[in-house]
Amino acid sequence: MLLSDAKAGYEGYINNILGDKKVKQFLVSLGCYKGAKIKLVSILAGTYVINIKDSRYALDHKMASSIELLD
Amino acid sequence: MMKTVKIALTGNPNSGKTTLYNAVTGRTEYIGNWPGVTVQKKETKLKRKYSCKNVDVRIVDLPGAYSISPFTDEEAITRNFILNQRPDVIINIIDGANISRSLYFTTQLLELSIPVVTALNKNDIIAKRQDIVNIPRLEQELGCPVIPITATKEQGLIQLITTAVEAVGKNQVQVLPPFAYSESLLRQKYIDKIIKNTITKKADLSTTTLSDKLDKIIAHKWLGIPIFFALMCLVYYLSIDGIGGYLSTYLNNFITKIIIPDTAAFLAYLKVPPLLKGLVVNGAVAGLGAVIGFLPLIMILFFCLSLLEDSGYMARIAVIMDGHFKKIGLSGKSIIPMIIGSGCAIPGVMAVRTIENVNEKRMTAILTPFIPCGAKLPIIALFAAVFYPKSSWVGPSIYFTAIIVIVLGGLLLQKLFLWEQTSSFVIELPEYKIPSLKHAFNQMFYQARNFIRKASTIILVMNTLVWFMQGHNYYLQPVADQSVSMLSTIGNLVSPLLTPLGFVGWQPAVAIITGFAAKENVVATLAILLGIASTDLLHTPGGPLAQFFNPVTAYAFLIFNLFAPPCFAAVSAMNAELGRKWLLRGLAFQFCVGYILAMIISQIGTLIIYGKFAHGFQSAIIISILLFVIIIWKIRRTALKPKKYSLFT
Repeated sequence: MLLSDAKAGYEGYINNILGDKKVKQFLVSLGCYKGAKIKLVSILAGTYVINIKDSRYALDHKMASSIELLD
Repeated sequence: MMKTVKIALTGNPNSGKTTLYNAVTGRTEYIGNWPGVTVQKKETKLKRKYSCKNVDVRIVDLPGAYSISPFTDEEAITRNFILNQRPDVIINIIDGANISRSLYFTTQLLELSIPVVTALNKNDIIAKRQDIVNIPRLEQELGCPVIPITATKEQGLIQLITTAVEAVGKNQVQVLPPFAYSESLLRQKYIDKIIKNTITKKADLSTTTLSDKLDKIIAHKWLGIPIFFALMCLVYYLSIDGIGGYLSTYLNNFITKIIIPDTAAFLAYLKVPPLLKGLVVNGAVAGLGAVIGFLPLIMILFFCLSLLEDSGYMARIAVIMDGHFKKIGLSGKSIIPMIIGSGCAIPGVMAVRTIENVNEKRMTAILTPFIPCGAKLPIIALFAAVFYPKSSWVGPSIYFTAIIVIVLGGLLLQKLFLWEQTSSFVIELPEYKIPSLKHAFNQMFYQARNFIRKASTIILVMNTLVWFMQGHNYYLQPVADQSVSMLSTIGNLVSPLLTPLGFVGWQPAVAIITGFAAKENVVATLAILLGIASTDLLHTPGGPLAQFFNPVTAYAFLIFNLFAPPCFAAVSAMNAELGRKWLLRGLAFQFCVGYILAMIISQIGTLIIYGKFAHGFQSAIIISILLFVIIIWKIRRTALKPKKYSLFT
């Protein structure tokens, strides 16, 4: 399942990061990588607010669809 | 001999580098509670309290970065400085609120064989969360000193600086296994192990916090934008009509009724030659006074903006705007330069560096100067007082016009220069915090000092020049009639261009020209030109300004000054972000927007309100038709082009 299809409150692990290398590298530096714990805190005005490690990030739909979750 | 040591501050965005920099150097650099406040390198020496014997320490503040491989332009500045300039020591700031993410960058810095000293910042947050960090173990795992600090409270800074200076010339021992650039996953796994060995956590931060609950309202799909507008209206109301306007009226009266006559009397008493007296009283003091009178407005504006920026709201407004701004070719992050730009367009334009996509970055740099900046407030306040006394809609109406123009301008730019939308948006949401009043006051006085400095240099020089040129002809002989002076010839050269906008006479043209040096000059120039010709006070309702404008053309004049290209300093900031080719396109676009808007307001407004044609109606019709044809031609040409050619290089 992609993060963009998840419901607010989803808690689980990342299965894979799709998309180009630059975005991938960037997400990894935030702590967004295969096997990392992720929580979808809420969906606000069409952006996905996630918790990774100790921080909150807002991602747009496109970025959210590049994160594949472990079902 | 004094040894010079260069210490670079590095760390994740919003980890507190600039707060630390300000604390140890005594500077007042821009800080705020969102990632990406610092977009350029800054360097200075330590303040006395922290300076060391026999060592001249230079501190370099760098933009925040999540890793050594840059994602945005300001991150690239950090990377290039560290790799090319090689500082003597790196102070790496670890964000106590997110240690494990910070360590990703830390471990990369440790591989550069530059001595690293780690500052564990936001120690107060760590204590509040009741996390326990085993510092000796962390030092051992990383192979570098770790100093706990709280930069906001100036705790641990002496020890940090001393440790950093001692580290100069030492070899950075490599205790971490070397990771290749592509092995970012292995690096993260290794960091997880370090975290497990050194930190005991109590709180689970993924649970819903107060910040999350606030976000549900503040970043709500429908409520978000009304809340933003309400906040900005409040900021403008407080600055222009509220406390700022109130104080400004007093200051203006004080200057025109006491300072100016007293200076004149004093100089007369000293028997100063009339030329010098005129220069000082009618040129420098009258012009400066007209500008300085508006100082309270600008101070209140920066005070309010500082509170807003410190609260954590900026990242939220980027979230709210993202969906809407994408439709007009901007990013959600574009709103941040625009809010900063409502203080001053220069840092506003520079803030576009945090936008990753080059098209969105360019559009933002072109559209940001449309937001009325602090220097334009005096023009708004003066015209509102003279032509619309006792009505508080002028300030907010300008702001709304700016927003509408930005939206339409974005759409038009997209049609003129077609491109594919390929960007993605990600921003860290820092926790909300109660904004610091101390910081807001500091920022307010800092900006007041800047304003006075600007007034006493560029504005003063322009005022003196304007006074001299309005009173002398080309043979440098004094003239009694302004209309035969040097200034009037210059104004008369430009004024035909302004006829379609309904502006009559050479004086408005001169004010517009001096406005490009600094926007406050528009007010100062009018004050000098009218102050000599009339004894009425400039800012009284229906005062001497009424001989040039009626309420409709006055509004058009305001709009032209706000939307036409910004001051030279902001233009050079645009040049730095856009490059020559796009700067010229941007300036042409801004000029056309200001011109057309002023023309529409003047011509159509006069027709509706006064029921007659305004001055220059025929030429306005011709210009409108010409521009319309050019725009349609350009849009059609762009639309016909195959997409791959229309992408920027």
